[in-house]
Amino acid sequence: MRRLALLLTALLLAAPAARAEAPRPMVWGDSLAATLDPHAIFDVPMQYILLNAYDGLYRYQGNPPRLEPWLATGHTTSEDGLTWEFTLREGVKFHDGTVMTAEDVVYSFRRLLAMNRAPAAAFSPVLKVENVTAPAPNKVRFVLSTPYAPFLAAMPLVAIVNSKLVQANTANEDWGAAWLATHDAGSGAYMVDAETYRARTSLDFNRFRDHFLGWSHNRNPFDQVRSRPILETSTRVLALQRGEIDAGDSYLPTDQVDRVERNPRTRVQKDETMRTFIIRMNNRKPPFDNLDARLCFAHAFNYEGFNNIILRGFVIRNPGPNPNSLWGNPPDLAPYAFDLAKAKEHCDKARAAGAPLNREIEIHLQSELEQTTQAAQMFQADLRRVGVTLKIVPNTWANITASTTRPETTPDTWIHWVSSYFIDPENWIGQMYDSRFHGTWKASSWYRNPRVDELLTRARGSLDQAEREKLYQEATRLVVADSPDIWVYNTVNLRGVSRRIQGWNFSPVGSGGELRTLWSEQ
Amino acid sequence: MARYVLRRILLALPALFGLVLLTFVLTRVIPGDPAAALAGDSATPAQIAEIREKYGLDRPILEQALVHIRQVLTGDLGRSIFSGRPVTEEIAQRLPATLELTFAALFLATIIGIPLGLVAALNHNGPVDQIVRLLSVGGLAIASFWLALMLQLVFAMDLDILPLRGRVDVDLGLPPTVTGLLTIDSLLAGRFDQFRDAVWHLVLPAVTLCLPGLASIARFTRSGMLEMLQKDFVLYARAAGYGKFRLYAIYVLRNAVTVTVTQIGLLFGALISGAVAVEAIYDWPGLGTYAVQAILTADYKALLAVTLVVGVVYAVVNVLVDVAQALIDPRVAEDVR
Amino acid sequence: MSASDARSVEPSHAAPLPGNPGEGRGGLKRPRPRFPALRRLLRDPVATFGLALVLFAVFVAIFAPWLAPYPEDAFESHILQRLRPPSAEFPFGTDNLGRDVLSRVILGTRSALLVAVAVVGASLAIGVPVGLVAGWRDGWLSELLMRVTDVFLAVPQLILALALGQLLAPGLTTAMLALALTYWPFFARTVYAETRRLRGALFVDALAGIGASTPRILLLHVLPNAAPAIVIRATIGMGFTILTAALLGFLGVGAAPPDPDWGLAVAEARQHLPEAWWFPTFPGLAILLLVLGFNLLGDGLRDIADPRLRRSRH
Repeated sequence: MRRLALLLTALLLAAPAARAEAPRPMVWGDSLAATLDPHAIFDVPMQYILLNAYDGLYRYQGNPPRLEPWLATGHTTSEDGLTWEFTLREGVKFHDGTVMTAEDVVYSFRRLLAMNRAPAAAFSPVLKVENVTAPAPNKVRFVLSTPYAPFLAAMPLVAIVNSKLVQANTANEDWGAAWLATHDAGSGAYMVDAETYRARTSLDFNRFRDHFLGWSHNRNPFDQVRSRPILETSTRVLALQRGEIDAGDSYLPTDQVDRVERNPRTRVQKDETMRTFIIRMNNRKPPFDNLDARLCFAHAFNYEGFNNIILRGFVIRNPGPNPNSLWGNPPDLAPYAFDLAKAKEHCDKARAAGAPLNREIEIHLQSELEQTTQAAQMFQADLRRVGVTLKIVPNTWANITASTTRPETTPDTWIHWVSSYFIDPENWIGQMYDSRFHGTWKASSWYRNPRVDELLTRARGSLDQAEREKLYQEATRLVVADSPDIWVYNTVNLRGVSRRIQGWNFSPVGSGGELRTLWSEQ
Repeated sequence: MARYVLRRILLALPALFGLVLLTFVLTRVIPGDPAAALAGDSATPAQIAEIREKYGLDRPILEQALVHIRQVLTGDLGRSIFSGRPVTEEIAQRLPATLELTFAALFLATIIGIPLGLVAALNHNGPVDQIVRLLSVGGLAIASFWLALMLQLVFAMDLDILPLRGRVDVDLGLPPTVTGLLTIDSLLAGRFDQFRDAVWHLVLPAVTLCLPGLASIARFTRSGMLEMLQKDFVLYARAAGYGKFRLYAIYVLRNAVTVTVTQIGLLFGALISGAVAVEAIYDWPGLGTYAVQAILTADYKALLAVTLVVGVVYAVVNVLVDVAQALIDPRVAEDVR
Repeated sequence: MSASDARSVEPSHAAPLPGNPGEGRGGLKRPRPRFPALRRLLRDPVATFGLALVLFAVFVAIFAPWLAPYPEDAFESHILQRLRPPSAEFPFGTDNLGRDVLSRVILGTRSALLVAVAVVGASLAIGVPVGLVAGWRDGWLSELLMRVTDVFLAVPQLILALALGQLLAPGLTTAMLALALTYWPFFARTVYAETRRLRGALFVDALAGIGASTPRILLLHVLPNAAPAIVIRATIGMGFTILTAALLGFLGVGAAPPDPDWGLAVAEARQHLPEAWWFPTFPGLAILLLVLGFNLLGDGLRDIADPRLRRSRH
């Protein structure tokens, strides 16, 4: 017993083991998706898996984002906009060495549509399973039910999986879902180490040397990237400063920017992106069925104070639903201004019309995201000055989105961001204010304007860019005049990173989580 | 004795069954819609309805409850709503981390708490006793989350002598999983560097978690000792001039410690529960962080399973404690309530 | 579990350990000084310190709006003066929305105490009747009640509180409900044990013999004798509840902003560390002192009642 104790003491006091000389693997501290199956979940963390373990037919590159052919070399569209034919790149290898064929692409789309989980939402209204075919080993043909302009823009959402591998691991006709949740079947630049994978706590990527793009663009890539997500924002920032992780998440609190920049080890990667911050109002529920009540709220938010003092100017005022850096916005769109006198005027008018502005109005926030709390508290203090009582309800993303399926359960107001899932006004104004999307969180203001519905439907079906631009501009003007929500800002993506990491290749889709171009200074 | 043990186990069964029912009732009070959460970020209403049907969320509540009970009895806690993986699998991956932390905290609480209690008892009502008392009561008064933050700032950030978070340095990798306890697995693999690192990582979370336990153990040891010191045989032995050291070390201490040991079992359950906050701050990949993540993602299946697993651990430990007590003091077995 | 009666403590009894055989059972009247427990408590410096802390907190809670330099900072925000360090103007500094931390700590005392009183009160309201009824007579009702108690005891308290707090409308009410739901079994157990012990006592038999009704015996005779154990459990429960409520606030499922809740303040302060050290420090100290007060007081009371009353988990 005593000898054991001595042994243990000796072990504890022993000098740290000599570290290997090879460059340290990169450690990624951003959150991990709940599963590795790219057809099961579609959220921002899943982009990290999608961009690194998998490839799509097209991919967004750069900032502002350009849509580039990726596993495809190009595509053709029929006159009526219904038939899309993609030509595949030759010699693309999956991680197990199998060569990709059109069969894999067809299988991937069928799997996506049959499972019908979140990533299928952009395709299922216009695409039937039987209308995805492979006319030749290097050609895939899609025949849409109705013309759908954002079809190409949404193409990078779909990961192409190794059909033979997935089929070999399919049990109970589950499309390989159980297996793919913990393994990868992709062709991406990095391969998942399934042995060490622990859901939501650790994921190790090994570099895939046979990636179809080769590695000539990167002289010193990381052979290993280890994901060790850190749940708490403040712990994540501290871990970054200590050098325990090389990259944090893309929501670095603005108050931390100075500190991360001052640290000799770390800096902040700042990129203009497309992620809008918005306070939703439930237009179906009084008082928000009243335009004056909504305008009162729109004039009571201190945009200047929030954007420039609390967030220290790291964001850009955004006047409407679309990010201001996207096309489709009227050039002369004027933002609502913070003006309590005007707010009071509108509130008085709304009260005179019978809007119940004296009841307690709830604002739901995402308690794990500090910024939503600060916005709500500031809004609350200012609304009090115009005689409106706001009640703050801490909540979570999952709970709120679950409650937005019906107008009665949707909160009076709530705060969130709309990230870039694909780069098209359809991702913002299209899915937020067309009433056909009622019941999804994106359309949770329950706004309905038949004219706007018509404009958005036409814009969705048109393949003429100039016409779409005009339609979206008009729709935006109408929506902003109706003030269904409070649009606050467009984000500057702030990610705390280690100074040794170079080669950031930021694109708003995926918030800059593409590892392929990164290299170490060592 | 065997009958007592059997009876004690049988008595625990209805409680466990009640727990299964209770957890089910709890998760059915969710105001939101689990199907919507399951469908994901950009799901359409049709997709949500399909999922509701697929997971039986549209069936009558009684039917869902019966299905639930049958599944739990067969050891099937269902699949996580969020990740789609079996929750038993996910919990099995995380339980060892929580157990390791709990054992470490219990170890610290015992090796510090017992001597503290002894010293206090021997200085009964003296200044040392009062200080120990203040410390042990104070240990129960510190908010663990606040203490954890302060320790992190001082020892990890300012002094930079202890790790900030996690179980092991990411560069060292993980030993092959045998028990799931890193300190043991690393030794089994002969990786002393990993062992040392794992112990270092345990220090701050274990210190934070051990405080309430330490306080209770010190307290129980103190009162156990005091009680023993009043016993006739001790008074007699002291009057007879028995060696003080021998008396205290062997007779009094042994008796006092057996009383304390039964308390340690009870503490175990409390510590597992207290680990939630500590894990969240030190980013310890155990059941606590799993529960917090489950809450953030409205993953009611996972939450239900965590509540059940911790409840079962708790119940099992309680049975073991009662049995141990009966073994130490057979009179307990006769006086079953 | 204990042979000694809680009321057997005599102020003149100098021995450190009361409970000698032959001490009078509760219910027997004999002349003695008034407030013996208080006198004995005041002789114990550590417990007196605890009492002083609690009384101070109660004073602060009652007069909070007059004591706080900026009482409107309970809900106001002044973003131009965010995160100022302690100064003459703001002795505890300001927080991330420019509010005076001192004012918020003072204002937070009230809600901390109210939550504790409400939770302990609700737990008493459930636990005491359950314990009395289950302890009084054996039978299926007693069995059923104690089995239900066991179920609630087996639920991990914090996880249940987290789950309820998140699944129901999150907020202080839900947190209080969760805490009460998991705390009443402790009272039920305590009262159950006391009732079991007392029901065999001579004076109870005598009362039954002269035709006293069961409710009368339970409420007028058994309950007062169980009171010391209940009071101790309740005092410790106050501290424990304040601590757990703060933790729930910290984890985001307790008090909602802009409540000047201490746990919430520590959570909001996290991302401003280490620069704004004053922001979490003072609310954290407030929690520590108030809980310490209750615990020391409970500890002192326990020593008076019976140093061996120790099968407590908190």
